[in-house]
Order: sequence, then structure tokens, then C-alpha cells
Amino acid sequence: MSILEIIGGILIVIGSLFLFLGALGIYRMPDVFNRLQAGTKATTLGAMSLILGVGFLMPGWILKILIIIIFIAYSNPISSHALARAMHLRKRFMYFKNEEIDAYKEIDENNKQVK
Amino acid sequence: MKKAIILISLTILGVYLIDIFTGIGFGTQHFASGVKDAYLIGSKETLRVSNVVTSIVVNFRGFDTLGEVTVLFLASMALGGILYKKRHDVGERSVLFPSTRIVMSGAKLLFPSIVLLGAYVFIHGHLSPGGGFQGGTIIATGFLLMLITYRNYSVSHNRLSWVESLAGVLFISLGLAGYFVHDSFLANVFPEGKLNDLFSGGVIGIIYVAVGFKVAAELTGIIYTILHEKD
Repeated sequence: MSILEIIGGILIVIGSLFLFLGALGIYRMPDVFNRLQAGTKATTLGAMSLILGVGFLMPGWILKILIIIIFIAYSNPISSHALARAMHLRKRFMYFKNEEIDAYKEIDENNKQVK
Repeated sequence: MKKAIILISLTILGVYLIDIFTGIGFGTQHFASGVKDAYLIGSKETLRVSNVVTSIVVNFRGFDTLGEVTVLFLASMALGGILYKKRHDVGERSVLFPSTRIVMSGAKLLFPSIVLLGAYVFIHGHLSPGGGFQGGTIIATGFLLMLITYRNYSVSHNRLSWVESLAGVLFISLGLAGYFVHDSFLANVFPEGKLNDLFSGGVIGIIYVAVGFKVAAELTGIIYTILHEKD
């Protein structure tokens, strides 16, 4: 068993752990924003380290794996941003229903003033 | 009570399924082997196509594929005919909220790679899983991304129908070429080449490229028409 295989195995275990935690978070969290947080953060790290672990086990695939990692790092934040913004525009607030706490609104208004 | 009924009916279904599947016996011959062997061996030996499904869809059953493409064409045309009337009084598409700059630049960067993936899928249709329909659908999803991200993104209907018509004409003219050379519609008129080569399988690769362009143009037209409908 070479050192590369050991590193790859450890990375795969870490990745699957994070993916499991992400799934658990989606199941357990109370509202959309919390679920998005659990889902995107955990799956970004989880999927990346899992695929990187596969890259350590199969050194020939490293180029494709780098492309996949770039794609995940690129598409996951954008899609979660769009989902969260859509939910915010639909007036879905946090589960405790405190409409005074709305940090994004201030950012949005600042943006409008800049434009 | 409900759960008990569901459980009992599922048990009955499961017993019947197990009964059926144990009777088959995996790895043994149960069906008439003539047709199967003709397809499996014929696609590798005579057509030199490594994807057996593609060889069946495009060559052995090529005429059916022409019918399927025609069905898709008629569906998109009928949708356009139904929805087109309402478009005269629509100046601009009504969008509730415009996308942010993050989504816009992300979609702009992602669009070429989606189109590239779709083109790869339908160009390699005879070598790997995928084909014209799948590749065309992937390209149409790229256009869908651009259409829902940019409010003013427009696809030229003229250009779409040109692409669609040229692809259809290519398909039918390849079929007619087979008819004139080998006396049967969609017969192979090009050299077969080597197995697992990009230029192998004769007309199959070219037909799948045509199908890919046609499906992409049709689905993009359907998406465009639906998104621009005013309700």
C-alpha cells in the first residue's frame, strides 16, 4: 500500500463524512436558508475532497479531476446564491419569523444606490 | 389499516416478481437468438459501431428515428402555432426580478462549456453512451440557462428554423443516397473504418450530428416560445 493510496483513502473518508453531514443537515435544519447552508457548504468540501481522493488513487485521471473540482467550486456557490436570493425575494424569512433582521435587504439597497 | 393493505399488496407483488425472476436464470439463453445475434454481432462486424444502441437506433431502425425526429418537429411547430398569436402584444418579456451580476457572469462563462459538452455527446454518439437526442437536449439546456438569466437574450427564430431544416435535409438526403447506391433507404454509403475510431460507422456519425443539431434547434425554439408567452 503506497503513500498515495493512504492519502486518497483518508480524503475519500473525509469527503463521505462531509457529504453525510450535509445530508443530515438538509434533513434536520428548519428552514430554507439553513438547509442551503448545510447542503452547499458540506457538499462543496465533501465532493471536492472525495473526488481529490479518487485522483490520488488513480493518478492518471488527475487532469479530469481538476476540471471537475473547478466546476464544483464554480457552479455550487452561484446556484446556492441564486436559490437563496429567490427565496429572499419570495419573502421567505428565517423560521423564527423576525422580519426586522434582514441583512441582505441593506446590501441590496446599497447596491441600488451605487448603481 | 391503510399501511396494512399497502404492505399486503406489496408482498403479493413481490412474491409474483420473485417467482418470475427466479424462472429466468441469468446468463442462460432464453430468447430466440437469431435477432439478438444479428444486432450484437452485426453492429460490430459489419457496421463497425461500438455502441450497439446507436447502431440499432440509427441504422437497423433508422427509419423509426426519422419518424421520431418528425414527431418532435411537428410538436415544436404546433406549440409555436398555438403560442405565436399571443406574441404580438408582448414588447418585452415580463420578469419579476432581474438576475444578479453573479448569476449573469456565471451563466455567460458556463454557456460555452455546456454547448461543448452537448457537441461532444452527439459527435461521439457511436462510440460512447449518448447520441443526437441527448446532445441536442444538453445544448438546449445551455440556451435555457441563458434565456432565464438574461432578460433580453433572444434567439433568432429564422436562424433556428434554418438549422433545423438543414439538419432534416441532411438526414433525408443521406437516406436517399443510401437508396440510390444500395437500393435501401438509409443504407451505409461511406466506408466503415475501424472499430472505436471517431470516423467509423459510415453514415451513423453524420446522421447523429444532424439529429443533434435538429433536436437542439427544436427544443430551443420550444423553450423560447414558452418563455415569451404572456399569460
